[in-house]
Amino acid sequence: MNLVQLFLAVVMFGSLFSVLTLSLNLQYARGGMINFGTVAYFAAGAYAYAIVTQEPPSGLDQYLVGLHGPWWAGFLAAGVASMAFAVLTGWPTLRLRGEYLALTTFAFAEMLHSLLVNERRIGNGTVGLANVERPDPGSLGLPDAWAYAGAAFLLMLATALVFRRLLASPYGRAIDAVRDDETAAEAIGKDIARLRFEVFVISAVPIGFAGALYAMITTLVSPDLFTAEVTFFVWIALVLGGERTILGAVLGTMALVGFQELVRAFPFESVRAAEIAAAGEDIVTGILFILILRWQPFEAMVKRRAAA
Amino acid sequence: MTRDLLVVDRVIKRFGGLKAVGGDDGLSFTVPEGTFLGLIGPNGAGKSTTFNLISGVLKPDEGKVLLDGVDLAKARASEIAALGLGRTFQTPRAFPSLSVLDNVIVGADSAGERVGMAFSGRWRDSEGALRDKAAAVLARVGLSERINDHVGSLSGGELRMLEVARQLVRDPKILLLDEPTAGVDPSLQSKLSNILVDLHAEGRTLIVVEHNLHFLLRIADRVVVLQNGQLLSQGTPAEIKADEKVITAYLGADHAA
Repeated sequence: MNLVQLFLAVVMFGSLFSVLTLSLNLQYARGGMINFGTVAYFAAGAYAYAIVTQEPPSGLDQYLVGLHGPWWAGFLAAGVASMAFAVLTGWPTLRLRGEYLALTTFAFAEMLHSLLVNERRIGNGTVGLANVERPDPGSLGLPDAWAYAGAAFLLMLATALVFRRLLASPYGRAIDAVRDDETAAEAIGKDIARLRFEVFVISAVPIGFAGALYAMITTLVSPDLFTAEVTFFVWIALVLGGERTILGAVLGTMALVGFQELVRAFPFESVRAAEIAAAGEDIVTGILFILILRWQPFEAMVKRRAAA
Repeated sequence: MTRDLLVVDRVIKRFGGLKAVGGDDGLSFTVPEGTFLGLIGPNGAGKSTTFNLISGVLKPDEGKVLLDGVDLAKARASEIAALGLGRTFQTPRAFPSLSVLDNVIVGADSAGERVGMAFSGRWRDSEGALRDKAAAVLARVGLSERINDHVGSLSGGELRMLEVARQLVRDPKILLLDEPTAGVDPSLQSKLSNILVDLHAEGRTLIVVEHNLHFLLRIADRVVVLQNGQLLSQGTPAEIKADEKVITAYLGADHAA
């Protein structure tokens, strides 16, 4: 892997997962809601995209629905599916606070995962849906990797701008008040249930879009890709970048993805060497987390910029 | 005849089988529009519980509370606030992540708190007026110089004033203040007293819970005295000062008569 490929991979996956980190930042750092089921909304988007765009089942396929629709219909369906899943899971659970909400959202994500594994009529069970259709960027005269890295970057930018517009308005002020002190917010007439629910649902939409883009990039959706690891990855990225700032969320994710891609790009001579390196990666990752959490370099960087 | 803005009708509230408010017959009193009602009583008389029952933080087990003719039995605290009830808390509450000015502006019901309005950006049209109003209210409670400060730097007394300002910006029909003088130094107390007198003169309806009887009996025009969750006495400050039951409750039997 050369440097250009490494750069493209970091931009592509870094931007893609930044969308998730930004959404989590809105839910948690501003909305005060702990969502440990982030991956479920991502999976809902990816599966919705695959189901809308794939051909009807044939041969050994076990899935029931394939609409063979255009890519943009699949992309829109991904946002709608993620939003619908947020409505479904948010409505009964958002009265819960703190760790209770965290456990419930985690359970919902596990339920969706198990449904995708066991109900083969959705997406072929553990086999998943391979050869997911995707638009050919060749018509734009761009190599695939550049086009999808660009698309991911644009999605991240759009998400950041939309969230910033929302948070810079009186709406942002109201959700800050609700997070700070619910009783005092109620005493000035803030409808806490409405605000929390809206933030939860709004932040799920970009996660769904990111899911669709992820399906296009990997051309595969399978339950293996959507485990709790994705959720924890995004949480770690958010903690790395420091809460409450959009730039911090993006920097944290980029750093984490950059590190992983760097390790992946390293050429190993033998299987044994690769195994040792894989074990070493976990150790180094752990040490890096400790160092970064201790000194919070990205958060400090963002604060310096804000102060300047 | 002025209408009753607030009606507390045979309200009973139990905590674990014990009647915190209401006794056998329930607690009843009315607050006509424009009244400055002082709510007093010894520690544990049920003053704060009564406040929480009126503002919807607690729900009565029996009886009902009417605000401007609307039964509050099913209303959530936020809905009661939206109906025009403003309140402060015994321990002042502020929003630490907002500036002093934003702590007040957030009290107003801004159109930009709707998702559509927030995205469209049309909230900017009314934001300037809101800021001016909040700044005026902050000036009224003497916090003009702290307008851009962090709430963490305010003193206990200033936090109480901030809470009053946050409610005033909403123009509530009725304002409930829970021990506004607690932890407030004497100079700020006299300022608070002037503000309350002014608000009353403007025709606003106030209910103030206070330990500081000297402060309250000078400025209230009606007083309700609670003891053990029940109505002990009510009347004008002069009548209350002369009421033997009240003197006994506060000072002990030896001082009566």
